[in-house]
Amino acid sequence: MNLKKTLLIALILGLIAIISWETYWRSQGYYPNLDDNKELWAVQRAKVNQLTDADVILTGSSRVLFDIQLNEWEAETGIRPLQLASAGASPLPIFHDIVENTDYTGTIIVGVTPGLFFSTTYPLALPWDWPQTRVNHFHNRTYAQRLNHQISLPLQKSLVFLSANEMDWTDNIDLKSLLKTIHIGNRVIDPMPPFNNFYDTLEDRNTTMTERTVTDTAFANTIKKVWGFYGSTSPPPDKASTMAFFVKDANKFIAKGGHLILLRCPSSGGDRIGENHGLPRADFWDDLLKQTNVKGYHFEDYKQFQNFECPEWSHLSAEDARFFTTELAKIMMKDNVITNSKIN
Amino acid sequence: MLFNSLSFVVFLAIVLAIYYSKIFSWTNKKRMLLLSSYVFYGMWNPPLVILLWISTVVDWTAGKRLAVEDSQKKRKLWLVLSMAVNLGFLAFFKYGDFLLENFKALVNSIGIEFQAQPMDIILPMGISFYTFQTMSYTIDMYKRKTERARTFLDFALYVTFFPQLVAGPIVRAKELITQFYEPKKATVNQFVWGLFLLTIGLFQKVVMADTLLSDTSDTVFGSDKLIHGLDAWVGTLAFSGQIFFDFAGYSTCAIGIALMLGIILPDNFRYPYASLGFSDLWNRWHISLSSWLRDYLYIPLGGNRHGITRMYVALMLTMLLGGLWHGAAWTFIVWGGLHGTYLILEKLQKRFLPFKITKWNGIFLAFITFTCINITWVFFRAREFDTAWNMIKSMFYMQTDGEKILGSFDILKVCVVIGILFLCHWLMRNTSMKTVSLKTPPWVLGLVWAIMFFLICIAQGSGEQFIYFQF
Repeated sequence: MNLKKTLLIALILGLIAIISWETYWRSQGYYPNLDDNKELWAVQRAKVNQLTDADVILTGSSRVLFDIQLNEWEAETGIRPLQLASAGASPLPIFHDIVENTDYTGTIIVGVTPGLFFSTTYPLALPWDWPQTRVNHFHNRTYAQRLNHQISLPLQKSLVFLSANEMDWTDNIDLKSLLKTIHIGNRVIDPMPPFNNFYDTLEDRNTTMTERTVTDTAFANTIKKVWGFYGSTSPPPDKASTMAFFVKDANKFIAKGGHLILLRCPSSGGDRIGENHGLPRADFWDDLLKQTNVKGYHFEDYKQFQNFECPEWSHLSAEDARFFTTELAKIMMKDNVITNSKIN
Repeated sequence: MLFNSLSFVVFLAIVLAIYYSKIFSWTNKKRMLLLSSYVFYGMWNPPLVILLWISTVVDWTAGKRLAVEDSQKKRKLWLVLSMAVNLGFLAFFKYGDFLLENFKALVNSIGIEFQAQPMDIILPMGISFYTFQTMSYTIDMYKRKTERARTFLDFALYVTFFPQLVAGPIVRAKELITQFYEPKKATVNQFVWGLFLLTIGLFQKVVMADTLLSDTSDTVFGSDKLIHGLDAWVGTLAFSGQIFFDFAGYSTCAIGIALMLGIILPDNFRYPYASLGFSDLWNRWHISLSSWLRDYLYIPLGGNRHGITRMYVALMLTMLLGGLWHGAAWTFIVWGGLHGTYLILEKLQKRFLPFKITKWNGIFLAFITFTCINITWVFFRAREFDTAWNMIKSMFYMQTDGEKILGSFDILKVCVVIGILFLCHWLMRNTSMKTVSLKTPPWVLGLVWAIMFFLICIAQGSGEQFIYFQF
C-alpha cells in the first residue's frame, strides 16, 4: 500500500477543494466575520472583574449592541465601554449575573427593547434561555474551550468558510446550514421567514449593521418580515414578573453603590407602531423609570433622535449609530450621569 | 480536550513534534506523554486530575502488593481495596444522585418522610472508562493473569494514555503496558494510516453524527408532542446512526492517534449493524467493554458453567449492569434488560429452533437484528420513560394521530444515510478497512480522504461533546 502517495493526493485535492470553496463564497459577497457567540461574549464578561467605578458596561438586547458604537463613545468620554448586550435576549439574566456575581459598582447602561425586556422570566423561554446560556457558559467554560476560541479568532478573521455562526442564520454556509436550505414537499411547514445575518462584529463585540442591510431594500425587507413574525407569534408581555425581577436587582445594584441608566434606543416603521400599540410608553417605559427611580433616556425625548429611519425598523445603520452614540454621550455628560475621563 | 477541536490539533502537533524529536530518551518521552495526558484531561477540569492520580496510586500499590503477596487473605484485601476505591468513585460521582433519588423514593413508598436535595455532583469525564481499565489490571494481577507493570511511569501512562483516556477503548494491561517497555516509533506507513484513521474518525463524528443526524434525533426525542410513527422511526434511526458514528468515530480517532505514536490499540467496533443476532452484536459493538463485562462479570457470575438457568441469570445480570454502566437512570437499565432478553431468546432459539445462516437469509437476519437494536435505542436515548413509551407506541402505530414534525428532506436524508450505513456494514462484516484499502488504488483512497477532509472543514463541527463522554 503506497500510503505516502495517497496522502499526497489527499493533501493536494483537499487544498484545491478548500481554496475553491473559499473563493466561491467570497465571489458571492461573503467576507470574513467574527461569530458573536458565547465565547466572544464570555471574554468580555470576564473583564468585568477588572473594571473600576469609572467604567461603563452596556447590556440589553440587539439595539444597544448595534446602536452604541464603542469607538465613538470612547472618543467622547475617554472610556471604552464593555459590550455585554445580547441579540434577541432579555437583558434581565445578564444584569442579574453582574449584580449577583460581581463586585462591580461602576455604571451599567441597560437597553430597554420593550418586547424583550418585558417578555418573560420563564427560564426555558428563548429570550431568557439564550442570555442565560451565555452566563452559564462564562461560569462553566473549560480551559480547552477558551483555548479553542483564541485559536479560532485569527482563522475567523481570515477565512470566510470558517464563519459558522451560533445564530441559526438562513445564510450561514456551514454544511449543516446549507443542508437546512433544502426543502422537499410540504410535509412540515416552517412558519419562520428566512432570517439572514445583518451585522458585523469585532473582537470587543463592537457591532455594526451590514452595509447590505442599508443599501438593499429587498434584503432589509426580509428582516422586517422576521420582526413581523415575532410580533405576531410572541406571547403577551409579562410586565409584573419582569418588572419585579429587574427592580429587585436594580435596587440591589444601587444599594451597592452602582450607577444604573436605562436607555430606549430608536425604532421606526412597523416596529415602532407595534411597540406603541402593544407596549405603550406610559405603561411600560415610564412605569419602569418610576419603579426603579433611575435616570432613563428615551430617544423620543431628544430632537436629534426623533427622525431616525431604521433600515429594518429596529436598529440604526452604522452611520446613524455613530451619530446616536456621540450625541447620547454628550447628553449624558451634560446631565452628569457619566463622567468625561478626558477632562477628569 | 476534544479530538474535533482546534486546541487538540495544536496539542497533537506539539506532542508529535516532541515525541519524534531526538532530544529525549524513551523514558523522558513517556514522561512527556504522561504529562500531556494530564494536560489533555486537565484542560477540561483540572481538579479532577486528582481522581486519576488517586486511582493510579491505589492500583499501582495494589498491583505491587499482589505481585509479591502469597497470603490469599491479604491478596483479597488488596483487590477489595482497589475495587472499593474505583467503584467508590463511580458510586459517588456517577451514581450518587441516582442512589439518593431511589433511596428517597423507596423510603417514601413505605411511609417514611424523607427529603434530600440532589447533590449535583460533577461527573468526571470518562470516569467509567479509566476506572474499568485500572480495575482490569488489579483483577488480572489478583488472578495472576498479567505481569506487574515494570515501573510506576509505565503504569501511570497505561491509566492515563490520552488517546483512549476518556472514551476508550478500555485496554487491558497486557495489551498496552508492555508496549511502553521498549521505544516505540511509528513507521511512515503506520503514521500515515494513523492520520487516515484520525480523519475517518473525525468524519464520522463531525459530518455523519453531528451534521447529518444529530438534529433529527434531537428534534424527535426532544419533542413534547405525540408524534407520527414515521417521525418516531426516523428519529430512532437517526440516533442509531448518531451514536454509532459518534462512538466509533471516537474509537477510530483514538486508534489512529495512538498508531501515529507507534502504539497499537485494539479495535472497538467491527461493523456492528450487520450483526447476525445479539451474541454477534456484542462481539462487534464496544468490544472492549463487552469483553470486559464477559471476563470480569459474566464469567465470575458463573457464565455457562453451572447450567442453563444460572447462565441466563448471569447473562441478564451482566446486561443490566452493562446498562447501568452507561448511565445512572432506569432507562439505561431497561436498555440493558432488553439486550439481556434478546440474548436469552437467541440462546433459546439456537437450542430449540436452530437454523443455518446462509448468504440468502443472512441479510434478512441482520436487518431483523438491526431493527431490534433500534427499539433498544429508544430507551437509551429517551430521558424519561414517558418519552420512550410514546416513541414505542408511535413506532408501532398504536398512536395514529401523532404530529408530523420532520420535513421530507430530513426523512430522506436519514433513510439514505442509515441505508448506506447498513449496507456498508453488511458488505464489510467479514473484512476490514485495512484489507479493503490494500486493494484500493492510491488515487481512489486519496480522493476519498480529500473528500472527508473537505467535508470536515466545511462542516465546522460545533458538537461540544462525544456522547460517550457522559458514561
